Amino acid sequence: MTAIILEALIKIALLIGGLMTAAAYFVLLERRIAAWIQDRRGPNRVGMPLTKLRLFGLGQPLADGVKFIFKEEYTPAHVNKVLFVAAPILILAAALAAFAVIPFGSMIPPDWFGRTEPIKLVVAPGVDVGMIYVFALSSIAVYGVILGGWASNNKYSFLGGLRSSAQLIAYEVPLGLGILAVVVAAGSLDLEAIIHAQTTQGWCFLLQPLGFLVFVVAAFAEAARLPFDLPECEQELVGGYHTEYSGIKLLLFLVAEFLHMITASFLIVILFMGGWHLPWGLTGDPAAESIGWVPAIVRIVALAVKIIAVIVFFMVVRWSWPRFRFDQLMALAWKVMLPLGVVNFVVMATVEQFGGSLSTGVKMAIGWGTFVLSWVAIAAAGPLIADNRARHDLHPSQIDSQV
Amino acid sequence: MNLAGFLLAEGSEDAACAWCQSYPCLASLSCWGIVAGALGLLLMLPGGWKRGRYLGVLLGCAGLGLLAADLPWFGDLAHQVFFWLLAGTALVAAVIAISVRSPIYTAIWFAISLLGVAGLFLYQEAPFLGVVTIAVYAGAIVVTFLFVLMLAQPAGHTVYDRVSWGWLPKPFAVIAAAALTGLMTFAVASLPSTAPIPTADPIAGDTATSGAPDHMANLGNTLFGTHLVSVEVAGTLLLVALVGAIAIVIHGKQPQLPNQGVEGARNDE
Repeated sequence: MTAIILEALIKIALLIGGLMTAAAYFVLLERRIAAWIQDRRGPNRVGMPLTKLRLFGLGQPLADGVKFIFKEEYTPAHVNKVLFVAAPILILAAALAAFAVIPFGSMIPPDWFGRTEPIKLVVAPGVDVGMIYVFALSSIAVYGVILGGWASNNKYSFLGGLRSSAQLIAYEVPLGLGILAVVVAAGSLDLEAIIHAQTTQGWCFLLQPLGFLVFVVAAFAEAARLPFDLPECEQELVGGYHTEYSGIKLLLFLVAEFLHMITASFLIVILFMGGWHLPWGLTGDPAAESIGWVPAIVRIVALAVKIIAVIVFFMVVRWSWPRFRFDQLMALAWKVMLPLGVVNFVVMATVEQFGGSLSTGVKMAIGWGTFVLSWVAIAAAGPLIADNRARHDLHPSQIDSQV
Repeated sequence: MNLAGFLLAEGSEDAACAWCQSYPCLASLSCWGIVAGALGLLLMLPGGWKRGRYLGVLLGCAGLGLLAADLPWFGDLAHQVFFWLLAGTALVAAVIAISVRSPIYTAIWFAISLLGVAGLFLYQEAPFLGVVTIAVYAGAIVVTFLFVLMLAQPAGHTVYDRVSWGWLPKPFAVIAAAALTGLMTFAVASLPSTAPIPTADPIAGDTATSGAPDHMANLGNTLFGTHLVSVEVAGTLLLVALVGAIAIVIHGKQPQLPNQGVEGARNDE
């Protein structure tokens, strides 16, 4: 019992330390990528403290953190104090708690304290409902946004909170539809079982490209990244739901946002890109119960490289597309992503039920055929092409009759 | 106010005595617990005697204690602590949810109560139900409540609130709650009283060996096998409600007069 608790505590400490550091350095990475895309230099000055070493700006996250901590923590007089303080704590706690079931590596050999079974690199191993647990906690994160916006008692914050809750609720539907087919194919909601199933069946983004597309778009929206960053769009709402926040409370919100992005990348890699496995047996025998040090480390590195690649993709997308308008955002969720998700689920469930004898190539052909056909159908229907300029040639009652 | 409380106590006492004859040793504690809890709840509900709320809190705690004294005692201290923490969270948060005045706080306390219920599900080795309770209730439904409340009620109380806090509906609601709690308590108490002690360790999260997939498969089979028609009817009902909501929105738009539209267009240009 003590050993179990101790093991869990060590994993939690490693995970929280790693995640906080990662979030800090992803801010630097984001700024450097932004600078690269915009043909600037970016933050490259802050190096090791008390020396003249620059180290490519690697000291920048430390400086930012210190700055946030030492800033005056100002609470405006017109806010609802309890909820104003509770909101950032809630959102960060929910974002961190989601990592309890997300594996950050396969397992490491039991070389100490006379253990015989390998140590799994996940805080709560073998949780059968891991996938829904992550969903539940990501839906709890909405509370932080909506309460922060409401408690601030400021119309820009409030608008940000409202937009955000509408957006997050709308995109939870395609997010769930995107993973349904993966869960049906793997036969489990346990994230490790899903990774393991992909080693035998093939990676899901090759087999179910449509589900992958739906999930990635919904994950962008859930993480409130551009082009879906309406909750805090600077040009319209000052800072959205965290306009009134400053100092360490603002830092909690910003860290929670990066954690959402990291969670989304973990899920994309684990559900669709085979997790820590590489093809051609580079990462050892996936079915083996025990593991050596070399494949264990190769697996951790493979997972980390895939996740960083997805995060870089997130960051490049940020500077590649303009923000959606709100009606376009809702139309994308309900008129494009929802039908695509349903089509993907129906096709994949049919293949799973009746196509057990099909080879992987045929399954891939079905998946990509569905992708192309439904894409063409959606493009032909064109639900996103909406001209919202005022129609002076029509009488308002005529417009209403078209609704 | 006092009369209503007195009547309530009278009514419950009669019920208690009817039970006293069949279950003499059991009826005493639970029955008095329910009576005390109901009185406390009545005093705690908003719109009443201000100082009475403290008395209500005391009575509610006493009622909870009396009810708890009748429950079977787990052998293991850790199980005991876990159960009471979760059950206490769910109950206390639920009572606060109906006794605060601001609807926003009601929604938040309701969500906390749901967290307690989800914890109880997890504790009873039903991880799927527990997690789905959070995802669906706390994550979607209560957030929608919050959304609507924040849009609709920036300040003040609606007429519905004031009606439901009036002198007549309050005692009725409390009596209904007490009757329901009493019925369920005695229905459960008449079952063979073996304490349900979980085998899996809630701390380690070791649900892999407890056969949770069977639990999920059973749940799915029951929902979409035995109760297929009910599920479909409920789904159709929701769809009808959605279509109705859209129809109301479209009907609510007042068609403007033609000359107003033209003026508006000129102003825009």
